Amino acid sequence: MMKNYSQRAGEIGDFSDLPFWKKADAVDLAYVGYGLLIVTLVVVSYLLGAFRLLPHDPHDIRLDLMMAPPGTAGHLLGTDFMGRDIFSRLIVGIQAYFLPGLLAVAISLIGGSTLGVLAGYRGGRADTAITYFTNLVDSFPRLVLILLVIAAFKPDIYYIMIVVGITNIPVVASLVKGKILFLKQKNFVEAAVSLGLPARTIILKHILWYNCRSLLIIQATLGMGEAILMETSLSYLGFGVQEPSPSWGNMVQAGANYFMQGKFWPSTAPALAILFTIMGFHLLGDGLNNLLEGKRGR
Amino acid sequence: MNLSRLRPIALVLTRELVITALLLLGVSFVVFVILYLAPGDPFSVLIEGQLPSEEARAGAREALGISSSWYAQYVTWVTHMLQGDFGTSIRTGLPVASELVFVGFNTLILTIGSMFVTLLIAVPIALYSSVRGTTALSWPLTMFAYVVSALPVFWLGYIVIYIFMHRFGLFPLMTSSSQGFSWLYAMLPIVVLGVGNGTISEVIRSLRDEMGRVMSEDYIRTARAKGASVWKHSFKEGFLIPVTEIIAAKIPFILGGAVIVEQVFNWPGMGRMAWQAAQDRDFPVIMGIAMLAAVFVRLGSMFQRVVYVMVNPRASKE
Amino acid sequence: MTNAPLLKIEDLRTYFYSRSKQAFIRSVDGVNLEIKKGETLGVVGESGSGKSITALSVLGLISGGPGVIGGKILFGSNGEQKDLLDGLDGYVKLGREQNRIMQVSKDVLGWEKRSDELMRKVRGKEIAMIFQNPKASLNPFTPVGRQITEAIRLHTKIKDAQAAAERAIYWLKRVKIDSPGLRFNNYPYGLSGGMCQRAMIAMALACEPALLIADEPTTGLDATIQSKIVDLLAELKSELGTTTMLISHDISVISRLSDSVAVMYGGTVVEYGPARDILAASFTSKHPYTTALLASIPGEEHVRDKAALQAIEGDVLDTINIPAGCRFYARCNRVTPKIREKCEGREPDLREIGGPPGAVLAVF
Repeated sequence: MMKNYSQRAGEIGDFSDLPFWKKADAVDLAYVGYGLLIVTLVVVSYLLGAFRLLPHDPHDIRLDLMMAPPGTAGHLLGTDFMGRDIFSRLIVGIQAYFLPGLLAVAISLIGGSTLGVLAGYRGGRADTAITYFTNLVDSFPRLVLILLVIAAFKPDIYYIMIVVGITNIPVVASLVKGKILFLKQKNFVEAAVSLGLPARTIILKHILWYNCRSLLIIQATLGMGEAILMETSLSYLGFGVQEPSPSWGNMVQAGANYFMQGKFWPSTAPALAILFTIMGFHLLGDGLNNLLEGKRGR
Repeated sequence: MNLSRLRPIALVLTRELVITALLLLGVSFVVFVILYLAPGDPFSVLIEGQLPSEEARAGAREALGISSSWYAQYVTWVTHMLQGDFGTSIRTGLPVASELVFVGFNTLILTIGSMFVTLLIAVPIALYSSVRGTTALSWPLTMFAYVVSALPVFWLGYIVIYIFMHRFGLFPLMTSSSQGFSWLYAMLPIVVLGVGNGTISEVIRSLRDEMGRVMSEDYIRTARAKGASVWKHSFKEGFLIPVTEIIAAKIPFILGGAVIVEQVFNWPGMGRMAWQAAQDRDFPVIMGIAMLAAVFVRLGSMFQRVVYVMVNPRASKE
Repeated sequence: MTNAPLLKIEDLRTYFYSRSKQAFIRSVDGVNLEIKKGETLGVVGESGSGKSITALSVLGLISGGPGVIGGKILFGSNGEQKDLLDGLDGYVKLGREQNRIMQVSKDVLGWEKRSDELMRKVRGKEIAMIFQNPKASLNPFTPVGRQITEAIRLHTKIKDAQAAAERAIYWLKRVKIDSPGLRFNNYPYGLSGGMCQRAMIAMALACEPALLIADEPTTGLDATIQSKIVDLLAELKSELGTTTMLISHDISVISRLSDSVAVMYGGTVVEYGPARDILAASFTSKHPYTTALLASIPGEEHVRDKAALQAIEGDVLDTINIPAGCRFYARCNRVTPKIREKCEGREPDLREIGGPPGAVLAVF
C-alpha cells in the first residue's frame, strides 16, 4: 500500500493561525457536516411538526389507501396499515423525543458538571462519594432501571428521560473532573486563585466556560443520540408514546407483522430514520471531539 | 503458579467482594427508594393479591413484625432477599427466586454469546486498523461500525427473522425445540444482539487506541530490537487488559439490549420478564430482576479486576 | 583498527512528516558513518540532531512518518558484508525539486516486510541495542529474568530453559546486580532505574552481539547512577571488546568511552575522527560547532574561577526547515565575508583538512 507525503512548496510556516477547517482532517469535517445536516433536519422537522405544517394529517385514516407503497402519489413514503401518511408521521414522531431529549441532556450536563467540579475542585470525600455514585449507576443496565421506574410510576416519557439524564451524569462528571485535574496539574487553577479571582468566577468562567465548553457540547450531542435511542426503544416496547400518536419506535413496532409479509416500508422508514439520526449524532460528537479536543479517534 | 502470585489475587478478590457487597446494598436501596416513592404503599403492593382484605394485611403486618417505618421495611426486604426469598410474583403467584434462576440463566447465555459475537467482529477490525493504520479499507470499516452501532436492534431482528422465515420456514413465535433448525434459531438473537447492541464502534475505537498506545511503548521497541515477538510482548497490556475492561464495561449495555432482543425473538429471559413485569406493575419480579442484573454487572467488573491483578504485577501493590 | 568497518552507513535519510506544517522533518539527512571492529564510536550532538534516529534506522525500528527513505547500511560480520537496506529503495519513490526531496511515496507494507526479512537474523543477535529510560524499556508485565532468557533462547544455542536461566543469572552477575538470583524473578517496577539499565545491558550482551548500540544509556538516571553505568560500560568494554556505537549528548560520557567520535548537527555528521583529537582542547581545525560544544562544558577551571560558561548562540536547528546552505550557518561565529556566500549557498561536504589523518569535517 502506497503512502504519499509531499511538502508544500515555498516557505514553511506555522499554520496555527489558519481557520480550523483548513487545518482539519477532511474526514472529521465530513462527520461534522453530516451531523449538522441531521441536527438541522431534526430541528426543522420538529418545528414543522409543532406548527402542523405537514403534507397530510398524521392521524388521518384512509381505509381506501391502506399500505400504499412508497412513491404513491402524494405519499412519498407510502402509508401504513390504516392508510396514514408515513412521511407526516415521521415528522410528527420527532415530537416524541425532541423536548424530552433536551431535558435528559440538560440534566446530565448540569448534574455532571456540578459533580465533576465538586470531585475535581474539592476532591477528598466528595470524590469518593462521586466514585461510589458512578459505580452505582453503572451497576444498572439502563433499560432495566427505566422499566423499574415505569413499573413504580407510569410509562411517561419525561420520567424516562429523567432517568436517562441521571444515568448520563457519571460520564460527564468524570470528563469534567479529568479536565479540572489536568488544569490543576498545569497550575492553571493555582494561577487563577493567586490572581485573587473568586471561586465562582474560576469555576464558572475559567473552568467550565473556557475549558469544558467543547467537552460539554460533545457530551450534549452524544447524550441526545442516547436519548433518541432510549425513546425509540421504549416506544417500540410499548412504554413511550402510545398509538395513535406516532413515534419512530411504535411505528416500527406497528409495522412488524406487515414486515414479515414482505411489506417492508411501514417499519423500514422509521427504522432508517432512527439509524440516520442516531448516526448523525454519533458522527457529530466524534467529529467535534476530533476537531475541538484534538483526539485522533478514528 | 506459586503462592506468592496467588496472595495478591486473593487480597483483591476480598477487596472487590466488599466493594461489590457495598454497591449491591446501594443498588437495593435505590430500588427500594424508587418503589417507596411509587404511588401506593410498597408493602401493600408487595402482598397485593395475596391477602384479600385490609384487616388481613394489617394482621399480616403485625404478625410479621413489620413496622410501617421505611427503614424497617427496607431491612426486612433485604434480609429476606439475603435468605433467597424474593417474594412471590403478583401475576403468577409463584416464588420469584426460582423463576429468576431460570430466566437469569437464559439471559446469561444470550449475554455471553452476544459479547462473544461483538468481540468477534470488533477485535479483528481493531487489530487490523491499529497495525495497518489508515488504509483503503479503513473508510468502509469505520462506516460499517458506525452504521451497525446506530442500527435499531429490533429492526435488525426483523430483517433476520424475515430472512430465516423465508429461507428456513421458521416463525418468530415458535418455541425453540420443535424444529430441526432450533439451534440455528437459538443462534439468531445472540448474533443480532452481538451485532446490534450499539457498542461496536466504541469497542473498536477503544481497543484500537489502546493497542496503538501500547505498540508505541518503549518496551515494545525493546522487544523488536531483540528480535522477539511483538505480539507476545504486547498481548497482556494491549489485548488482555483492554478486552476484559470492555467486557466488564459493556455488560450493562448488552443486558439492556437483551430486553429488546428477547422481546423480538421471544427468548424466555430476564429482559422479557422485566418487560412483562413493568406492564403488570409486578414489583417483586422487577425488583428481583434489577438486583440480578446488578449482580451480573458487578461480577463482570470483578472478573475484570481479577484478570488485571493477575496480569499486572504492580496492581497488587496499589 | 585496520580492519574493514563492521558497520558503514552511507547517505542515510530518515524523514518524518509534520501534518500541521505539511513539511518533512528531516531528522536524518544524509548521514555517513563507519564503525571499525572492536572500537567504540561516540555519536554526540544536541537533542534533535538525529543521533537516536540514526541508531533506530540501523535496526529498522522507525515507526511512523515516511521513515527510512534512502541510503545504505553496510553491516559486515562473519566475513560477509550485507546491506541492511538492500532492495528497500525499490519501495520508495522520491520526488526532488532543486536537489531537495519534496515528495515521498512509500509502499509501507512492502518496505516493512522486506525490512523484517533483512533484519530477522540481525536484531538482538548481531546488533543489540540498549535505550534511554530503562524502566520503560523493560516489559513491565514480565519478570526481568524471563526477558533475558527469552533473548538467550532466541539467539544462542542455549534452548533449555534451565540452562538459559543460569546463563541469564551469570550475565546479571556480570553487570554487577547484587543477588542476581533474587532479581531474576523481580518485575521491572521493583528495580531502580540503574538496575533496570544493568538488566538491559545484560539482556543486550547475553547474546554476544557483534555490535552494541547504546542509545543515551545514562539519560534519565540520577547523576551518581550515571557514572556507575559509565564505569560498568567501560569495564565491559575492556573485558569483552564489543564494538559499540555510543550515542549521547553528554561529552563527558563520550570522551570516557569512545575511540572515535562523530559530531552530529541538524541531521548530518559535521565532524568525524579519532576521539583523542576531536575532543582535545589543543586540536585547532575543528568544526565551529564542535568548538562551541566543547566550550559549553564546564571544566575544572570554570568551577575554580566561577567563570561563565559559553552557551551556543541561537536554537537547535529546526529539522523541518533546513536551509539550503551550511546547516550551522545561522549560529556560526566563524563566518567571514569571504566565505559568506558559500556558507549560504550550498552544504559543505565532509573532507579531510589539515589535521590528523582520519579526521574529516564539513567546513569551508
